[in-house]
Amino acid sequence: MRKGKITITITIGMACFVLVLIIFMQFKVIYQTDIASIDTMKAEELKTELSSWKSKYEEAEEKYKEISETLKKYKEESSSGGKTKQNLQEELANLELLLGLTDVEGKGIEITLKDPENMEEIEKEIENTEHTEQRINTSELLRIVNFLKDAGAEAISINNQRIVNKTDFAQINDTTYIKINSQMVSAPFTIKAIGDPDFLKASLIGTGYVSKIKDWGQSIDFKELKNVRINKYNGKIDYKYIEN
Amino acid sequence: MILVAIIIGCVLGAVIGINLPIISYTYSTYLAIAIIAALDSVFGGITGVLKGEFDFKVFISGFFCNAILSMLLTYLGTKLNVDIYLAAIVVFVGRMFLNLTIIRKYYIDKWSKKFEEMKKK
Repeated sequence: MRKGKITITITIGMACFVLVLIIFMQFKVIYQTDIASIDTMKAEELKTELSSWKSKYEEAEEKYKEISETLKKYKEESSSGGKTKQNLQEELANLELLLGLTDVEGKGIEITLKDPENMEEIEKEIENTEHTEQRINTSELLRIVNFLKDAGAEAISINNQRIVNKTDFAQINDTTYIKINSQMVSAPFTIKAIGDPDFLKASLIGTGYVSKIKDWGQSIDFKELKNVRINKYNGKIDYKYIEN
Repeated sequence: MILVAIIIGCVLGAVIGINLPIISYTYSTYLAIAIIAALDSVFGGITGVLKGEFDFKVFISGFFCNAILSMLLTYLGTKLNVDIYLAAIVVFVGRMFLNLTIIRKYYIDKWSKKFEEMKKK
């Protein structure tokens, strides 16, 4: 046998070997993947199936997104709604506090203010013009209220008449009565105020107003209380001329 | 002689190929096209031997280059979204049939000659 022929034979044999090797590898792959019945379908069929599934998936995802967005919106709405309700209630409570429409309690002071003891005798001796004594009047009460407010009083009442925005102080002519909130009150006065007791006291004593009151022959008495109770405003609040 | 070599090669390849690990289904296309290319080369080689034009270098280079080139073309086809491997298959299978025709004709001629000689005797 010629040398060339041997080479040829070996080469062809090698080629066949490689070829069959690859063929069998491929057979194995195809056999394994046959289980899923994928290759019983044509590639085109698989493609269309896949694309249809893809579009279905995309549709479903879009729907899911939409729904989740609306859900989010609803959630936000409900939470914000709850918030506004709470806010409104808080605001209402604040406003009621501000207007004095609720009974309140807290740290504060109680001031007892009395007319001069022998005022009637003094008034009888009207000729005696030198006397410095005088009865408690509205301007005095107003000043006291003002001092207390200045010292940060959060609620004030005089003889259980709550001092609010609408409160009026009026002297009834030639009597010892004073009208507060259109209710007649008279000495002795009990002034209650909620706030820092020290500040409230200092606002009256420190400004020298207490000594003035004493000059007028009246007696003033301070009581620091841990719990002062101030009743709500009993009158009606309605507006005729204010337009909202 | 060549037949013996072919049979031995096939049996060896089958035995070893069955015992090799499985490759992923994704790459089976490349493997298939390589098989077609190799088949074409083998048939071309056999034709060459029968014609007496067999060139060792041409055969080996054709065997591997055709396989690799067809695989590369298939890859390019997947990237371009064009089934280029179809063109490769057409070319290879067409050549395979041509070679088969040549082989068939060769053996027919050979056997008919033998038959005539037998008749003359």
